This record gives sequence, structure tokens and C-alpha cells, in this order.
Amino acid sequence: MIDRLQFLWPEIILFITTCVVMVIGLSKTYLRRKATALIAGAGIALATVWAATRSPDAESVTAAAGQLLLPHMVAYAKTLIGIVGLMLLLLMAGTVDREEEAQIAAGRRSFDPLRSNRAEFYAFYLFSLTGLMLCADADDLIWLFLALELTSLPTYIMVAISTAQTRGREAGVKYFFLGALGAATFLYGFALIYGATGSTNLNTIASHFRTDGISPLAMAGLLLSLLGVSFKIAAVPMHFYTPDVYEGAAPQVSAFLAFVPKTAGFISILLLCAVAGWAYLPAGQAGSLTTVKAAPGGTQLPELMRLMLWVMAALTMTVGNVLAVLQTSVKRLLAYSSVAHSGYMLVGVVAGPGGPADQGFTSNGVSAVLFYLLCYGVMNVGCFAVLAALERSPGRDGNFRETETLADLRGLCTTHPALGWSMVICSLSLLGMPPLLGFFGKLPLFTAGIRAGELPLVVILGLNSAIAAYYYLRMAFAPFLETPDASAEPVIASPFRVRQLAAVVSAGGVVLLAILGNSLMEECRKAGEVRAGIPFVTGGKAEHASAAAD
Amino acid sequence: MTTLTNILHAALTGSIGQHGEVAHAAAGAAPVQIAANGPWYAVLIPVFAIAAFLLCALCAAFKVKSKLPAWITVACLAASCGVSASVYAWVSSHGPAITYVFDWIHVVWGKDKGQSFVANFAFYLDTLTCLWMLFVTGLATLIALYASEYMSHDVGQGYNRFFAAFSLFVFSMACLVMADNFILLYLGWEGVGLCSYLLIGYFYKKPSAVAAAKKAFIVNRIGDLFLALGIMLCFVHFGTVEYKAVFAGVEEYIKHFEAGEFNKIPPVAQWIAYLLMGGAFGKSAQLPLYVWLPDAMEGPTPVSALIHAATMVTAGVFLIARTYPIFMISQYALHSVAWVGALTALLAATIGMAQFDIKRIMAYSTVSQLGYMFAGLGVMTSVGAAAHVFTHAFFKAMLFLSCGAVMHGFAGQLDLRKLSGVGSMPGWRIVGIAMLVGCLNLAGFPIITAGFWSKDAILGGAFANPHAQSIGWILLLTAGLTAYYTFRVYFRVFVGPQHFEPGDELHAHDDHGHDHAHAGHDHGHDGGHQSHSHDKAAASHDFHPHAPGWAINTVLAILAISAFVVILPLKLIPGELGWVGQMVEGSTARAVGHMEHAKFFGFDAHQAMMVVSSVVGLAGIAVAFVLHYAGRTSAATSRADALLPAFGPLANWAQHKWYVDEFYDFLIRKPLLVLAHLFHIIDQYLVDGLVDAAGYLPRAIGRLLRPSQSGELHGYALGMAGGVAALLLIVFLATTSW
Repeated sequence: MIDRLQFLWPEIILFITTCVVMVIGLSKTYLRRKATALIAGAGIALATVWAATRSPDAESVTAAAGQLLLPHMVAYAKTLIGIVGLMLLLLMAGTVDREEEAQIAAGRRSFDPLRSNRAEFYAFYLFSLTGLMLCADADDLIWLFLALELTSLPTYIMVAISTAQTRGREAGVKYFFLGALGAATFLYGFALIYGATGSTNLNTIASHFRTDGISPLAMAGLLLSLLGVSFKIAAVPMHFYTPDVYEGAAPQVSAFLAFVPKTAGFISILLLCAVAGWAYLPAGQAGSLTTVKAAPGGTQLPELMRLMLWVMAALTMTVGNVLAVLQTSVKRLLAYSSVAHSGYMLVGVVAGPGGPADQGFTSNGVSAVLFYLLCYGVMNVGCFAVLAALERSPGRDGNFRETETLADLRGLCTTHPALGWSMVICSLSLLGMPPLLGFFGKLPLFTAGIRAGELPLVVILGLNSAIAAYYYLRMAFAPFLETPDASAEPVIASPFRVRQLAAVVSAGGVVLLAILGNSLMEECRKAGEVRAGIPFVTGGKAEHASAAAD
Repeated sequence: MTTLTNILHAALTGSIGQHGEVAHAAAGAAPVQIAANGPWYAVLIPVFAIAAFLLCALCAAFKVKSKLPAWITVACLAASCGVSASVYAWVSSHGPAITYVFDWIHVVWGKDKGQSFVANFAFYLDTLTCLWMLFVTGLATLIALYASEYMSHDVGQGYNRFFAAFSLFVFSMACLVMADNFILLYLGWEGVGLCSYLLIGYFYKKPSAVAAAKKAFIVNRIGDLFLALGIMLCFVHFGTVEYKAVFAGVEEYIKHFEAGEFNKIPPVAQWIAYLLMGGAFGKSAQLPLYVWLPDAMEGPTPVSALIHAATMVTAGVFLIARTYPIFMISQYALHSVAWVGALTALLAATIGMAQFDIKRIMAYSTVSQLGYMFAGLGVMTSVGAAAHVFTHAFFKAMLFLSCGAVMHGFAGQLDLRKLSGVGSMPGWRIVGIAMLVGCLNLAGFPIITAGFWSKDAILGGAFANPHAQSIGWILLLTAGLTAYYTFRVYFRVFVGPQHFEPGDELHAHDDHGHDHAHAGHDHGHDGGHQSHSHDKAAASHDFHPHAPGWAINTVLAILAISAFVVILPLKLIPGELGWVGQMVEGSTARAVGHMEHAKFFGFDAHQAMMVVSSVVGLAGIAVAFVLHYAGRTSAATSRADALLPAFGPLANWAQHKWYVDEFYDFLIRKPLLVLAHLFHIIDQYLVDGLVDAAGYLPRAIGRLLRPSQSGELHGYALGMAGGVAALLLIVFLATTSW
């Protein structure tokens, strides 16, 4: 078990940072509390660098020490989480306590340590990232459940305190109750899996499935778990909360919601699928393919899981896109687009990693999902960052007001060139316009789907991309081609300039990663390798027993 | 003088004896081997060019109003030329090699043949590449220097734009020539097409220039379609687009080719050549796609000289030379190339004879000479074709630059009926001499001109090829016509009584240009004034032709000298066409296979052709002398006019370019227009209707689903629970067999 610890250093670093942030956040002076953001940033950066450079070589971890089902994914996922986490952190500046701090600055009131939420906000943010990273090295159902809840619980509070308006609180409450419903669903599923296999260890469950097949009880558990976890990725039918919560929360928190829980959800889905299906073949061991055929799943998911994910993917894409078409609020639009993108990624899950002959980046659906998570994270942060970096001039009550509608974006390329062009680039990338990152993200989803023979699903994916063009082009054209309404109140830049930085960094990332994506794709290809939890022996019972004894 | 004697000596003794044996000596040898460790500095050739482009773009961004972009371009291109020379030195000592720069397109989806698509940014450096790069960069440097003066009336944004496009052209040409795969070649191919379009349309306020640019672009698109299809077919058949692997694939068919068993070569492999040929015909202005090149003369003259005479239009020749093995394994491909080339040569020569615009005459002569090159490739004398590309690049660039100097000095006047005796006007001597040298080369004046030797190699090759006798006769006839129309220009414009009428650009020239004529070229101006006062026929009272300045004169002088100097590598080094021969023999363009040597009336074809083509060339010059020089007293008329009725409508038709443009207009453009209107109607009512309906569908579904987003918590919870139940139900119902 001590071997597992070497995977966990990034989480440990984040946790220590969280504690430091919480303690500093209790200090009596305003200035010291302001340092919390910097400390959080330093902690995330350190964890990211650690994950990228010092993650243990997955090959060296023996099965007995808890080898993971997607061994190479850990380092990749944590690095990805850290990088996008840093970009999100840039956005978080000035999210909470804004009005209090403005009043303090104006001298209308003095600093009251009890009323400041700043440190708590950053601590929750860090907790959520910690949970997300923990999802990636889950090798146990209980671990997975705790990691998922550690990711989610802070987000409910972050949504509620992100704005001073009541709709933020409403969104927080809704998110919490529905999230609890989702959590109950997958917890029930986990319980059924445990009941069917007698183990919570993913390796053990996997080898149990391989030798004894998947019992109906276990299958029900798997399906319920997938459905429950799909709350995190906002897939149909668990998507209902998305627009309301995204709209209610501040845009920077919506950006966070669109990335962090979604990544946690996809990592969990990949793990659950790896437990129940797919070929557990390291590259090059074509000889044992015949034995795998006897095992449930083969190179595909078990039929029932595949069918359910197939239906979910098709519905999620379509529902997300057709509802997005009708929106005028950019936040709601992006919420539905987030739903639709989850549907796209589910295509990669349905396609799966393929057999040993398909180890290329473009044929491995798991790699495609992992790559798309990065692409989506970067471009999505860009869009929300533009929204967060803008605001309307204060109303009569002196409170700041968010920008919201597409009309607010009009003519942004001339009024705020950096933000306008970021919006154009990120929208076009979300649409999947060829030279940009979104295209290179979507392409392997298509090719993996074709490779897996899921042609109808790929056609649905293509049609949905076409529908999505409608609203993404509106988002791109509004800043670029249209002129601001003369009658409307002007949109001004938010005083928190780091948010602009986040927008520009995202847009730059969308362009640069597309150019420099080659080595990244190689990383993803590797990260997408799915392997046997237990060294694969055709012996059956003996192996199962030894695994269980572990 | 000693040099000349040496050349004559070498020409008469050394090479005549060696004709024939060397030509096909390399037959059946091992395939061209290529190493993978080319010199890294080869990358500097395109890098310098793109650097010049970026710097010129910066100049444009900062609105530079000086000759800075010209000097940047000249310096960078000279550096490219220097690098080309050192790459050549490397290749000649180490043999051909590939220089890998970076992974450009690298997609692998399996380990088998055809399961990867690799097109790296890498350069295939063999002697053929070096030959092309040397003259491309060398001429580009000289012509950029020339243009620095020629374009001086446009200093400012136009000047910046010109040199940016000029540098981008050289970059694209370097990609095209140095590519180690078809995709990079295609990038360069489209790049040169784009630059050509931009530069033809340089005077974008002039409708004819815009129309010419569009015509060039669209006609080239037709050719490019074939090139793209050829590349795709190449990938389909050989599973790769890298030359090295493609040639390795072709190698197994070469033995069938040598045995003449074309039925053992798959038809798909043979088709590649036809498709590539289509691309070559478009870019190199061959039948039926030659129509864009004469119109392309709307661009500034340096552009015509570099792009539309010396370099870009030889890209088609290069493509065929580079992929010569692919053409050899195709049964009729080379025959087709030869016939198209020969017919283009003849057709363009007949049109050239009847034109009055000297630049247009040069354009048709370019089409005609390109036809020669294609014919040379087609009759399996790739050496002759490459040599002709090489010599033609120098003398045709010089001819264009001389015409450009005239156009520049006489306010855009190009009509040979309105200019006379230009060569003897003070300050115009170098232009006159350069024009004479160029004309002698183009006409194929025996022994002392490089153009003679390269043209002779093609003619000899044609007559030596037993299947190409008729092509030989066509080319021989064309040689006579070429000599005639070339010297028609020379005798009308550059010698004879002095006379000029300025062109219509007189008032288009801004004051700056006119001041420039006064201040910058006093010597020329004075001379022009004198001749003006003597010549009562001058149309404009305040027009003074301004003789070219130092940049134009220097470039013309260098080119005039090098037009002779290129004879040295052609004739002093042993082997057929000496240095160029070696360059081609050591590359992919080497002709392999045995071929019986046909006789020309019992004589060796090559030796006989030296005499026959000399006679034909001299006869053409003599006819031009009699008709256009002897006894001519005015600019507008000559003895030839008296002969016109004898030709009946033929002369008129030739002057109207055999109505080919009108024919294309009637046959292709009009039906397309009608079709376009038809489709427009269909599009507007049927397709738009369907699209509107399709666009309405998502909205309709969206409206249907919208009530589900009521905002009520219990509604959402119900939806989630219901959704879970429904999905589980679907799954279990759908797989009852489980």
C-alpha cells in the first residue's frame, strides 16, 4: 500500500496548500488574507510540476501494489487538472467579497474578519481540485466515491457564495439537492457491484468479471453507477441542473463547473468501463486475443453498457445542441454546449481503446476522451473568462452587474480587442474549426468511432457539430462582425485584469496547442492505454483467488 | 577571344564526337540512391526567403516609404543563392541526400504499407534540385535588383507589397523544388500560384490586370486539380507520397518498361503520370491550358521575367523531370507530353509572329519554348529539356527585362509599330546589346549561343527517337518561326531609324516618376531630349524617355554576360550538354532504357541537327532582316505588310490568337454561365428551402424540449429519476436475449 503513496504527492501538496490557505485566511489583516490566492496558485503549480515530472513510472508499479487500470492516465490527468486549474484560478480573482472590499476601499466600512469568505472560497477550490486528482488514482470503489464527493461538495458552496445575488444561492441549493440525488444513484450502483462481486477493489472486481462473467446484479450496479456519475458530466438524463446552475453562478465558477466535475465524471466513467469491458491487452500481445474473446467484453464494452452509453451519447449531444440554439444568454448557451460536449466525449467512451492493433492516437477512444478534456478545458475557460472579464456599468445600487446576453458581446473586437478576439477564437475552437484546437480534439473522436464501427453514432456526432455551428458562429460573429447597440448601456472591462489574462492565455493555448499538439497527442495516446488490472492468465479461478487475497 | 575559341573548339570537336554514346549510356543502371543525412543548412534557402517576406511585411506594417524592402529582398535572396551554391557543393561531393527539418504531417494508423501518411518538411537534395535552386535564387536576386529601380515609381505600400510577394514566391518555389514529398511540392505549387496571382494583379486598379490575375488563377486551378488527383492516386497505389518510397515502388515496374511489357504494369500506376501531366500543363502553360500566360503580362515586367518566363512556368517541367520514373512506366504518357509540347510550341510561335505588343510576343515565345522543353522530356531527352530550362531562364529573363526597360522608359509603350531604333539612342546601348544577345539565344544562332545548344539537344533527341520523327519536324519548323518573330522584334524596335511615341502611362505616372526621370538619369534624359528634338514624329511635346539607371543596366549586363557564360558548363565539361547533363544524369530525371538510334536521312541525328537547325535559324533571321529591317524608313510600316494579303485570313486569325480565347469562352465559359444561373435558381428555391427546413428542425426540437427546463427543483429531480428509469428500461428491453 505504501507504493500507492508515491502517486499521491500532488494531492498531498494540494492538501497542505489548502490547510495553509485556511489558516492564513483566518488572519486578522486584510493584506495577509489577500495572499491566499497567491499561495493557492503556488501550491497548484508545484503539484502540477510534480505530477508532470515526478510521477512514478506506471510500469514499475506491480499488480500487488495496486496497479491501476489506466496506469499512464494518472500523470497525464493530474498535469491537465493542474494546468486548467491554474487558468481557472486566474479567473477566480475578485469572485467573493467584492462588494465588501469595495466598501472597505471606499472607506465606508472597516475590515471585518468574520464576514470575509475569501479564504474559504480558495480552500474549497483547492479541495475540489484535490478530489479531482484523487479520482485519477482511484483503485477502489470507496476511494472513487470519496474522491467524487470531495470534488463535488465544495462546488455546491462555491456556487452559492460566488455572487451576492439570490439566484446564486438558488443555484447552489438546486445543485446540492440534485447532486445528492446523483450521488445516491451511483452509490447504490457501487453497493450493487460490491454485493455481486464481494469486493470494492477495482482490480479484483475486474478479474472477477473476467473469470466469472458479469452477473445481472453486477450489471445493474454498473449501469446505475454510470448513470449516477453522468450527473457530474451533465449527460442526459442528469443534465437538467446545468443551465440553471451555470446561469446562477458567477461566470468564473461556471467555467470551473464545466471543467472540474466533468473531468471527475469522465475519469470515473473510464475507470468503470475499464473494470467491466475493453480488451486488457498491453500493446503487442496479439497472441492472447483469442483468450480475451472468451471473456466478457472483448475489445468492446459489455453490450448493455455499450447500448446505454450509446443512447446517452446520442441524446446528450442532441438535447444539448438543440436547446443551445434557442438561447440568448451566453451563460445558458455555454451550459447547453457543455452538455453537448459531454455527449461528444461519450462517443470516445463507446468506441473504447480498441484492440492491440489500434494503439494509435487516432484509433483509441480513451485517448480521444482524455485529449478532448484538455481541449474542452482550455477553450471553455476562454469563453467564460471573456464573460467574467466584462461587466456592465454599475446600476443605481452601486453593485456590479454581469454581462450575460449575446448582445453584450457585440463589437467586442473593436471595443476590447483582446477579449473580443479571444471570444472569436475560443468559440470557433468549440465549434471545431480546422486549424484550431477544437478540431484536433474532435477529430480522434470521429476516427475512433469509425474504427470501432459505431458509424450511426459518428453520423449523429457530425450532425450535431453542424447544429452547434449555428450558435457558436453567433458567438463568434457578435464580437467580430456586429456593432454595439447605440442605445444599450456600454459594457466595460472588469477591474480584475487577471481575468483578461486568463482569456488571452486560453485563446493563445487554443492556437498554440493546435500547432504544438504532436507530443501532447503522444502523451494522450499513452495515457489512453487500458491494461489488465491483474496480470492476465487464462487460468481463471486461481488467479481470481490470488487477486482476492491481495 | 581565347575563351570563344575554346568554346568553339570544344563545341566542334569534343562534344560532337560524344553525342549519342553518352545520351543513353546510363540505361539500365541501378536506381538513384539517396542518403538521409543532407546538410542542415539547406533549410536556410527557404528560411532566407521567408525572412525577406516577413521583413517586407513588417515594412508594410510600418508603412516604410523607401527602397528598404528592395534591399532586404536582394540581400536575403543573395544569401539564399549562396546557400544554394554551398548545398550544390555538398551534393556534388557527397551525392544526393534528404535533409529532414521537422515533422509536418505524420499520421500513422497501422504498420502496413499505405497505413501511414507521412509528409515531412524535408528536402530532397539531388543535382536536379540544385540545378533548379541555383538558377531560381540567382535570377531572383538579379531580378529583385532590377525591380528595385523598375518599381521605384511605386515606393511606399505598393513597393512593400511587391517585394513581400516576390520573396514569398521564392519561398514557395524553394518548397516546390526542394520538397521530398508530393505534399510539400503541392504547398509550393499552390504558393507560387498564389504569388503569381498577387503579382499579376499588382496594378489592381486596372481592370485588365485583375481579369488577367483571375484568369491565371482559375486556369491554374484546373491543372492543380489534376495534380492533386495525381498525388492522391499515387498515395492510393504506392501507399506513400514521399519521393524516395514512390521511386522505390516504381523501381519494380522499370524492368517491365525496359522490356516494353507495359501490360504488366498496373493501369492505376500508369494513370498517375497522366494526372500529374495535367498539373504540369496548367502551370507551364501548355495546350490546352496555355491561355493564361500571355495575359499574365499585365503584371510588372520583373514579375513576367522571373515568374512567367524563368522559374514558375518551368515548375511543370520540373515536376515531370522529378517524377520521370513515373512517366517512364506509363505507356503513352511521354508520347502525350511530347505531342502536347510540340503542338504548343508551333501554335504559340504562329501567334507570336502576328502580335505587335513586344511583351506579348515574348510571352508567346515563352509558351513556345516551354513546349520545346516538354517535347524534350517527351522524346526522352530529359537532359536537353533541363538544359533548355536552364539557358532559357537566362536569356528569356534578359529579353523580358530589356522589354521592361523599354516599357519603363517609354511610358508603357510596347507596340513595335510605335518604337524604332531604341538601341541606338544614347543611354540605351546596354539594353540594345542585351536584347540582341537574348534574341540571338532565342533564335538559336549557331555555335556561340547557349540557346542553340540546348534547343539543338532537343531537336537532335527528337530526330534520334524513332517514334518522334514528326515531332522533330514540327519543332524544326517552330525553330524557323521562332528565329523570325524574335528578330522581327529586334529589327523593328532596336535598330533602324529612331522614332518613338510614348505610351498611355504618360499621365498615369505621378510627378515623382517624372522628376525621377529628370533628376536621376541626366545622361539619359539629355540623350532622349536630343533625339526628341531631331525626331519630329514624337507625339508628345513634353515627353522625355528616361534611359535605365545603374540597377537595370547592371542586371542586364550581368545577364548578357551570363547568357554566354552558361555555354561553358554546357560545352566545356564532357558528356552530352556537359554540366547540366551530369546534373540530370545524377538525378531522378535520368532517362533509362535502351532505344535504337534513328538516323536523319542517313546521318546521325544529333550531328545532322547541328547543321540543319543552324540553317533554319539563320534563315529565319534572314527573313526577318529582309522583311523588317532592310529599307525600312518608318516605325509603323515594313515590307512585311505587303506580304500580308498573300496569307489571306490566316494572318488575321493568328493576330487574334486563332480565336482560342473566344473558343474557350463559347465552349466552356458560356455553358458554365448558363448552368450557373440554372443552379442559382435551384439553389435559391430548392436547396435554400431544404436548408431552411433543416435549420428549423433543431429549433423546433429545442422548443419541444424547452418546457423540461422549468427551473423547478422537483421537476428536475423527477426528470432525473424518470430518465434513469427510462434508460434502464430501454437497455433491458433492447437486449432481452442477454
